[in-house]
This record gives sequence, C-alpha cells and structure tokens, in this order.
Amino acid sequence: MFSGFSSSVKGASHEIKNIVCQDSSAHFAGENYAVAVVADGHGSKKHFRSNIGSKIAVESTLATIEKFYENPEEFDSNFPKNHDMVIRNIQKQIISRWNVSVAEHFRNNPVTSQEKADFTKEEFAKIPVESYYGTTLVAVVACKEFSFGFQIGDGSLVGVFEDGSTALLIDYEESNPANITASICNANAASMFDSFYIGDKKVLALYVSTDGLYTSFGSDDDFLDYHAIITSQLSEAEAFESAVVKNLKKRSNYGTQDDISLSCIFDKELINSRLGVLKQKIKENKQRQISGKVKQN
Amino acid sequence: MSNINENTVPDSLLDFDDDDPLGATSVSKKSLVIFFMIDTSASMRGKKMGELNTVMEELIPEIRRVGEADTDVKIAVLTFSTDVKWMYSTPISIEEFEWARLEASGVTSMGAAFEEISSRMSRNSFLNSPSLSFAPVIFLMTDGYPSDDYKKGLKSLKSNSWYKFGLKAALGIGNEANDDMLAEFTGSPDTVVHAYTGSQLAQMIKIVAVTASQIGSKSMTLSDESSKELHEEDVFAAKQKLLGQQIQELVSQDDTSNVSFDTGW
Repeated sequence: MFSGFSSSVKGASHEIKNIVCQDSSAHFAGENYAVAVVADGHGSKKHFRSNIGSKIAVESTLATIEKFYENPEEFDSNFPKNHDMVIRNIQKQIISRWNVSVAEHFRNNPVTSQEKADFTKEEFAKIPVESYYGTTLVAVVACKEFSFGFQIGDGSLVGVFEDGSTALLIDYEESNPANITASICNANAASMFDSFYIGDKKVLALYVSTDGLYTSFGSDDDFLDYHAIITSQLSEAEAFESAVVKNLKKRSNYGTQDDISLSCIFDKELINSRLGVLKQKIKENKQRQISGKVKQN
Repeated sequence: MSNINENTVPDSLLDFDDDDPLGATSVSKKSLVIFFMIDTSASMRGKKMGELNTVMEELIPEIRRVGEADTDVKIAVLTFSTDVKWMYSTPISIEEFEWARLEASGVTSMGAAFEEISSRMSRNSFLNSPSLSFAPVIFLMTDGYPSDDYKKGLKSLKSNSWYKFGLKAALGIGNEANDDMLAEFTGSPDTVVHAYTGSQLAQMIKIVAVTASQIGSKSMTLSDESSKELHEEDVFAAKQKLLGQQIQELVSQDDTSNVSFDTGW
C-alpha cells in the first residue's frame, strides 16, 4: 500500500523580490499505483504566468496517469512489455492536456495591460501564448511490480531500494550544464523528455524534486544520503513531514535561495520491514562522509 | 488525491530548531569556479613571471572578499608551456587556496591547454558539485603566440557547454601578445585587455579577476528593471556583456605609467 507527501516552499530570493512561488507539487497514493510530481515554472520575463503553468503541469500529470490506469489489471500486465512506448504516450498526453488547459486559462484570463507593460508591442507579439506558462515537469509512478518516471527540464528523481541503496534515476545532462531548461512549452516538448523504467527491484520510496533542492548540496552522495535519511523516518511520515518542510525552507534560505519542491511516494510496510537495513546503510554513509572529510584534510 | 501545493509553508514552521534527523545534513552555498589559464613559456621568464606571481598572491584575499557573502568561490590554475599542468589536482576553495609560485620555461602549448581545460569542465571532473550554480569564469593570460595548433584546441573548447555559458576574459602581456587571437578565445574584444608594463599587469589582472568574480557570482535569476527574472540564456549574455563594459570602463580609468615591458623590464 502506497503513501506519499509533497510540498513546495517559496525561495528566499523570491520572498525578497516579492515574486510568487513558481513551483507546484502533488502526489497521489492509491491502492494500485502512486504518483509524485513537481514542476518548476521558469519565472522569467516572458514566462509571466509560469506559476499557473506549473500547477497545470502537475494537474495534467495526475489526470493523465489516472486515465492510463483506468483498468489496473490490463495496465499492469501490458506495461512491462511495452514500457518505452507507453511512457512516450503518457508524455504526449500530458503535453496535450497541458496545452488544452493553458489555452482554456488564456481564453478565460486575457493578458492584462500590467502583464504587457514590460514589453514593447513587437516584443510581446513574438511570444507564443504557451510560453507565458513555461515550466519543467518531473514525475515518478510506483506500481505493484514496477516503477517508472520521466522529466522535461531540470530537477531530480531519486529511488531508495529495499537493500538500502539509493540512486539518481535519470543522469545529469552534460549538454545542459547551467540549467538552461527544456520546457513543456517548447514546440518539440515530446522529444525533450528523459525517462526510466525499473522492473526488477522493489523500491521503498521514490522522490522527485525541483533543482533548488539538488543545488543546495555539495555532492551527489550527500544528496542521495538525504533521501535515505528521509526514507528511514517515513514510518512516522505524518509527524516527520513538517520537519522535512522546515528543512526545505532552511535549504532555500542558506543554499541557492530558489523555490524548492519535493514530492515522495513510498511503501510504508516495506520500509518498516527493511528499517534495520536502511539504518545500517545510513550509518555506513555517515562513516563514508567522515572518512572522506579526513582524506580531504 | 492530494491538493496541488503552491508555496504551502506557513510562517510558524520556519523557526529552525534543527531537532530533526535532517538537521545534520549540510547546506552548500552557491559555488563558482574561476579558472586561470597562465602562459609559463620561456618568454614569460624574469620580471613578467615575477610580477604575475606577486599579483596573484595579492589577488587571492581580494577574491576571497567577493566570495564572503553567499558564494563559495573555488580556484583552478592551469599553466601551459611545453606541457600543461594544474597547480592543484582539483579546484580549491578560496578560503584554503595558496598560490604556488610559477616558473617559466619551454614553448607555448596553448591549444593543448584549451583541450585540457575543456576535458576538465565537466560534471564528471572539476565541475561535479551540485551546488555549482554559476557558469565558470575563465581567465587567460599570455605574452605570446601559441606554438601549437591553438585553433584545434579552441574548437574543442568552444563545443563545451560550460565554456559557452562561462565568463571569458583574456590578458595580453607585452608587445608580442595577439589581441585578435585572444578575442577569438573570449568571443569579444571588450573582454581582452593588454598590459605593457609591470604596474599595468598588476592593475589588469586585478580588474579582470575581481570584476569577473563579482559578475560571475551574481544570481542566475538576475532581475531586470521590472523586477521580473530574466531567462537564464539572457542572464549569460547579459553577464558577458556587463563584464566587457565594466572591464573597458575600469581600464579607461587606469592611469598607470606606460613604460613598455619589452623595453623597460
């Protein structure tokens, strides 16, 4: 049985500049599957409605996965045989839903003179409507026998497995070094997704986060250890959630000052049964950190 | 189904008592790597190298001040003569960095240096920290013309995305340095300066290094006049342009004496 939590915190720099939080996050934990999703609105000048775009991206993802999962038995049986194709179809459906919802929002909320004020007439005419709402999207789905996920733009996906190990589920894109983000608003968005599929091992927890979290760490190991620690506390998730939120806010304040979103889905029973292994792994990680620091010095 | 979260944290949750298991996980400041590429060929021998060593020793505390606010500045120094060599095997935090005095000999393998820096500007090498929020600063200093095929090396470097978004500046030292070739490296003549004397050398290194560090460590989400954030691509272009403008402005104010390196040293 899956559980989940999700939270978005406003970046310290956005507090100072009085800019709205551009991130959105959500999760769904049902009997047959669970979804965790985050989106990071671009927030720059021409993406002036990206806070709304990120919310629509998150909603579109939950609705699309729900639609694909209408018949759980059929989905669970067919997906492993054609996972690449189905994941691509899911991505296309999400983009399509996002575009429909964005168009509807635009129809109901014409651009105001205040929103246009920062542009010349010519500049404004060149911006496609969907760019107003530009955002990234990162999502994971846990099913009974497999899990999968995808992302467009920056952000991270982390898996914590039953042997206590952790992994980044999609590799860093070297050709995109300085967070020049791919976006769901791009005309060729469907070709810009990266994805993963795991069919051969059980996950204790899956996490997605916007890049404000990753960039608050000094190393990939520290980032992964952080997720192992959170997982070890999830047997008391309700009580622990506020501590996670507090920590996200602290990471924004003392780190990159960016908005941060974290969404997680997990199997509480499995975590409880593997708690000893998990705690041992965390202890080993701590030892590794200490010996790493000693070596550096 | 859960609600969609949009900045859901109430202020009452923001007192940091750190009585939780996550309290021990360290938070990294935003970080920036400054690459110095320094010509140590034989023509740099004598006063040029002596002056450069002195200036670099003085410069470190100045850059340290730039990094004090909220950015962890790291330094990587690549020297090139007949061979290319890193002063240290990894970028060193400015707080711990100590200048190791350089000596000059051999020929000017600048192309090899371009290839070496390109191979290290990667997430799998020198730029492996998640907290690396800023594209690097790359500052080239040379007194002569490359003795190898620099165009091949530069082509390789120009295909590196970190180079594309990094801040590039160059200093030509003495009469033999070719500013056109240096502008090929930086992408603009505005970010190329020239020193003909010892005092100019000191001034120019400080102007370029400090200005580039200051601009390089500005937030990626720079605001424009309307207080909206600029797109990252615009920020990179704006930073490189700003660097050129500020360098030219500071250079034009520089009133150091004009005794030539090549005659006066």
